Amino acid sequence: MRTPCSDIQSRLSLLADGDLPPDQDAAIRAHLAECAECRGLVADLQQIRASARGLGPVTPPDHIWIEVAGQVRLGSAPAPLLPARTRPSNAAWQWVGLAAALVLIATGAYVFRGTTETPASIVQSAGNANEAGSVEAVTTELGLAMAHYEKAVAELERIAKTDDGTLDPVVAATLQRNIGVIDQAITESRTALTEAPASAPARDSLFAALRQKINVLQTTVLLINQIRQGDQEGAARVAAGAGKKS
Amino acid sequence: MTDASRAHADLELAERCRAQVPGAFDEVYRANAPRLFGLACRMVGRLDAEDLLQEIFLTAHRKLGLYKGESALATWLFRLATNLCLDHLRSRGVRFSQMSEHLDGDIEANAAGTGAILGVVDRLDLERAMVTLTAGCRAIFVLHDVEGLEHKEIAKMLGISDGTSKSQLHKARLRLREALAGQQSGRPRPR
Repeated sequence: MRTPCSDIQSRLSLLADGDLPPDQDAAIRAHLAECAECRGLVADLQQIRASARGLGPVTPPDHIWIEVAGQVRLGSAPAPLLPARTRPSNAAWQWVGLAAALVLIATGAYVFRGTTETPASIVQSAGNANEAGSVEAVTTELGLAMAHYEKAVAELERIAKTDDGTLDPVVAATLQRNIGVIDQAITESRTALTEAPASAPARDSLFAALRQKINVLQTTVLLINQIRQGDQEGAARVAAGAGKKS
Repeated sequence: MTDASRAHADLELAERCRAQVPGAFDEVYRANAPRLFGLACRMVGRLDAEDLLQEIFLTAHRKLGLYKGESALATWLFRLATNLCLDHLRSRGVRFSQMSEHLDGDIEANAAGTGAILGVVDRLDLERAMVTLTAGCRAIFVLHDVEGLEHKEIAKMLGISDGTSKSQLHKARLRLREALAGQQSGRPRPR
């Protein structure tokens, strides 16, 4: 007489995994030889298992690394995840402190002022194949680096724009002013680089300005996160840290 | 790469991270984030996974001093990530210790009658079906079937018996079979 299906079904996953104890194997296989439904079930369990093994990695959005890198750079401890994101009550004195700390960021922004180039800082290409190759390499590297910075800036700007009033208007305005100053520096550096594409000082000042912009945007995102998580002290630390770094 | 050279390379990378060498932690992130994000998405859902991935890497950065090279850095990070995912689920009220070794009668009764799944299981369908599982069942399915952990290891992490891990995995697969069969019945069959 055949073993009832209900007696063996709880062990069919073990069979599908090849983990069935040898003393049970024969009885279950004998049942399967006669039972199409249970054979179908085992086949399905194996399909599900095989498909699950094929589920691959998932690429995380770029902003996660930007935020991780920002927090690592600022040396702040990770904020614990909260059950629900709650909007904290505004404490006016804390906002004043944040705004004051953030003003320091703008004063640290480096603005390109047409630095005089030294011969060594200019890559000459005429009449020298190796150096011509260097110019190409530098241009390529420059393009890649610019793409990297611009992608980071775009991603951070996208996140910063999602702020739905979490930031106090004074702090938001301060951050916006900082970005305005840095944008001006970026524009000036770009102009200089267009006029003298091989100018190392122009390139350096452009990258410095882009890094500054990323710093400010990272600070904005961190502030939004800290405040959304109700961590006013953390927000104050972020602002103070940003002021010191800039 | 041999195990010894891998261990040396991982320890050296961890040391560069501790010394804050530019690009070192970036390297760790780039190499491991996609796998860990996949794990987190499947364990806790996409929305919380983004926050959790940040927490995983910030915790890893803080604890890198504890990494001694006994296992691959990727394995060390995977364990850390798994524990954080499980802690997250516990903080959401999931009680692994209350999971039973016994299967619900209705699942067993339906198992044979559900009908076979036609052809290969589509990965997107499977991802969708996994969402329908309870968090505890899903965690065991992800750790065993997706990530390839053994029941003994899963049982230890969750504080349950091997038997409970096995029966909950079976339950998860039966539920997925039901859900996948349901998805397929609502779709035109290929000719």
